Amino acid sequence: MSTPTLPPGLAIQKADERIMTLNVGPQHPGSGHMRIIVQIDGDYIVACDPDPGYVHRGEEKMAEYRNYVLNIPHLERPVIHDSCNILYPYVLGVEELLGLEVSERAKYVRVIASELNRCVYTMYWLAIYGIFLGHSTMFMWPAGDRELLIDLLEKMTGARVTHSYFIPGGIRNDLPANFEDVCLRQVNYFEKRIKEYADIFYDNPILISRTEKTGILTRENAIRLGTTGSVLRASGIDYDVRKKEPYDVYDELDFQTNVLKSGDSYARSKIPWLDMMESCRIIRDALQKMPKSGSVRVKLKPNPKGAIGSVYKRVESGRGALGCYIVSDKKAEPYRVKLSVPSFRNLIALPHLLIGEKLGNMPSVYWSLNYWPVEADR
Amino acid sequence: MSAESEKETVEKKTENPKPTADKNPKKPDVVPPTAKKTIPPKVATKEEPELPAFEKGIGDKITEKFGEKTTITFVKPDRVGIKVGRENIHEVAEFARDVLNYDHVDSVAGVDYPADKEIEVVYHLSSYTDPSLSRQILEIATRAQREEDPIPGNDATKLPSLRDIFYSVEFHEREVFEMLGVFFEGHPDNRRLLLPEDWADLPPLRKDFRNKGR
Amino acid sequence: MSVIAPNFKLSEFIKSILDNAFWILLILALIGIPAVQVILFYIEMPVINGELLTPFLALTWIADPSRTLPIIKAFMTTDLFRIAAFPGFGFAALLAAGTIFVERKMLAKLQLRVGPFYCGKIEGILQLMGDGLKLISKEIIIPAKADKPIFWAAPVLFVATAAAFVALIPVAPGWVVADLDVGLLAVFAIIGFFPIITILSAWAANSKFPFIGGIRALFQMVSFEIPLILSLLGAVILTGTLNLSEIAASQSSFPWIIFLPIGAIVFFVTMLAELERIPFDLPEAESEIVAGWLTELSGMMYGLVQLGTYLKLYAFAALFVVIFLGGFNGPMLWPPFPEEIITEGIELGPVTAQIPGLPVFSQEVLNGILMFVLKTVGVIFFILLPRGVFPRIRVDLLLDLGWKKLIGLAFVNIFIALGLLYAGILGPGGII
Repeated sequence: MSTPTLPPGLAIQKADERIMTLNVGPQHPGSGHMRIIVQIDGDYIVACDPDPGYVHRGEEKMAEYRNYVLNIPHLERPVIHDSCNILYPYVLGVEELLGLEVSERAKYVRVIASELNRCVYTMYWLAIYGIFLGHSTMFMWPAGDRELLIDLLEKMTGARVTHSYFIPGGIRNDLPANFEDVCLRQVNYFEKRIKEYADIFYDNPILISRTEKTGILTRENAIRLGTTGSVLRASGIDYDVRKKEPYDVYDELDFQTNVLKSGDSYARSKIPWLDMMESCRIIRDALQKMPKSGSVRVKLKPNPKGAIGSVYKRVESGRGALGCYIVSDKKAEPYRVKLSVPSFRNLIALPHLLIGEKLGNMPSVYWSLNYWPVEADR
Repeated sequence: MSAESEKETVEKKTENPKPTADKNPKKPDVVPPTAKKTIPPKVATKEEPELPAFEKGIGDKITEKFGEKTTITFVKPDRVGIKVGRENIHEVAEFARDVLNYDHVDSVAGVDYPADKEIEVVYHLSSYTDPSLSRQILEIATRAQREEDPIPGNDATKLPSLRDIFYSVEFHEREVFEMLGVFFEGHPDNRRLLLPEDWADLPPLRKDFRNKGR
Repeated sequence: MSVIAPNFKLSEFIKSILDNAFWILLILALIGIPAVQVILFYIEMPVINGELLTPFLALTWIADPSRTLPIIKAFMTTDLFRIAAFPGFGFAALLAAGTIFVERKMLAKLQLRVGPFYCGKIEGILQLMGDGLKLISKEIIIPAKADKPIFWAAPVLFVATAAAFVALIPVAPGWVVADLDVGLLAVFAIIGFFPIITILSAWAANSKFPFIGGIRALFQMVSFEIPLILSLLGAVILTGTLNLSEIAASQSSFPWIIFLPIGAIVFFVTMLAELERIPFDLPEAESEIVAGWLTELSGMMYGLVQLGTYLKLYAFAALFVVIFLGGFNGPMLWPPFPEEIITEGIELGPVTAQIPGLPVFSQEVLNGILMFVLKTVGVIFFILLPRGVFPRIRVDLLLDLGWKKLIGLAFVNIFIALGLLYAGILGPGGII
């Protein structure tokens, strides 16, 4: 057994003259806030060791010191672009521990906010995917079109990115007047706009020749490695928590999941884009079925104490299944909060996909994992 | 308005057969002596609600196979929790994969119980391939001995690794190792993952590691 | 009162300006003008209006308009002017600066944003100057283990090589810095220097990412040089000369792109690759290897390389124009110089000014410059356009393209040219 205290950078170095070790990151335009230690032989990657943790902030430890409500603003910090979705399992779990019932309208509003947030996140992800492939137009367009939805979320929640919108027992505030019309209009325009991305990006011959048949994750490996979300569905497994284990009102809404069979980075990059169109469909459906009025939150006692026990809740975030495991010991603070984040679960596939690939494929394969470094570090 | 919606939700609750309360299916008559104090398992004060049949079936299969070695801690809708000693965790996991068709691990959570001098490691198992299990989460909890002065990797805080059964625990176990100091025997790559390379303090998720100013 | 300078006083401000002006004038009068006079005794003076200009009269052109233009014209015939200003470096740098501005604004419009906006009030026209000032004022950091002489020399060599390339371009009839009979061969020789400079700089930096970038640049440039050379041979076969001015002049009735479209396409693609422009910007692929072989360059060293890159862009676009688009040939758009100014002079109220030495440029030259600039700007526009449309290609696909497809197409182009030549349609003695 190797000595476990060896720092990661030293562990895989060998005295082989052919092999060059590259530290890609953490301050590298192609890595995000993490380090990938790759060893290359010529242009081929022979070893890859992802080293997350550059932006580890100890969210789980911090959650043990704050009460159930005060945890909300900082638990959404790992993915501020997807802040509603990362709070969702926590809020569902706390509701079960505190025994709260959520009103029907609040459930619909939650679904709308969650889907808007999924699109906001995916647009940001897509923008970075574009710039990773050297396609600067694809960086600017999603970053600009994202503003449409951010404006909507700002109308709903009052904040552009860190919404802190979901609270145990509902949502923080009701929708503003006339929100439904504005939302419908902007979402329709947004859908029209993202359909145009096919022309410049997804049907681009250079993109296809670069990403097709690279970084193939087979169906068996996808299951074995426990990947989730778009990575899983690109490998041909139809698993979406919204369908399989519907939370709130997802079982009443009309949508489908997108599955592709090939499992290469092209399929992995296409699934989130297809999902955005489904999100638009869900939002339209939810706006239609939503009760037009009603209370949206339950009045909480100050410092509510959870029942003794544990709870594990899952939702489908922009990146995949996001679980939250809360252990409560009848105190105002949770005894332990564990976020099982999809980025961390997908990261495990990175060495399997990169070994044997060319160095030029590294950014596209890496970012096609729908990976958000800050979320993986928590 | 609010009263109306209240009524609606109440109605909805009654027509939904799945109860939200978490109940212990059978009070474990032999509880490991160390597990008494802080273990979450529930206080069965209310009347026993009807247990979800499918989930109970999973629990029964495990009890049937392993008998006294495992304890069913709870059966809730879509969730089954079992508790296993560290010497049996490997075969229980193998049984869950081969017979019960759970194929990957969603999450591995370490929880520190200083009062019991134990550290609990909770595996959340889930399945992509079996459609009947797609809602289900199997929670396998096991406990390792806890040291007051931990030397991560070189003390008695050890558990057998499940990496050879569920490959997906690879990074999760590395995380638990650095955050709580539980060394996983059989894990080929027990290195630091998230913490800085020069971290020389206690494993940070232990309860005796206090955040500054708190 | 102003918050930035609370002790500001207008009188002191004016006094400081006057002080500075006084000292500048004093130093100029005491040192500057005598120095110029001394220098004038040592250089060869031109003949103006039939008499040799003496150093004592040399500075009179500032006050005497009848001497101004002849002196400027005499200066324009010198090599220094040709190299530094008009067909050479200065002209190319001006066009390169325009290219950068157009690139930024055009890309911004493609991407639904505004681009440079504030610097210079009008559409951020001074942004480039601001960037240049920033680069000049930055510290130059050399890696500790770099091979310092080579590392220092590489950016300078890069600009020098690009400028040498620029020197071979005929801008207008007779207006070329170096009118060589082996012009095209010289072009190939100069293009061959770029990969060497790149790999020298990358190797001397002693750093991993520049090294990978340098190797990639070497691969890319070497593999694209062959189709580049082959694609230009068609025009050489048809004109029977390697002199760029003669190749340009031979297209007075029609440009070669009509008969050699395949060669033009091949040359355009190889041009993108040689220039390291998207989609072939692998040596600087930022998401893979930071900035490629430019990673360790800082401050004005980076600025020099950028300057060299844009000079090279201009030179390649100009070469495309000269070989395929007819160079300075084109319809006469420039209006003729008004004759009455030469014969009668300019009437300014009671005074009639006779200005000898007009016109500075003949109508043909001016029209040639106009045609050349218009075509070059058009080609540059098409070079810039893929940046908004394409992602980056991968290195194996790139080499595949260079070695297999483009070389084959270039041979097809040569066969077309040979066919046209032997069929007696084009070329020396052809029917057209």
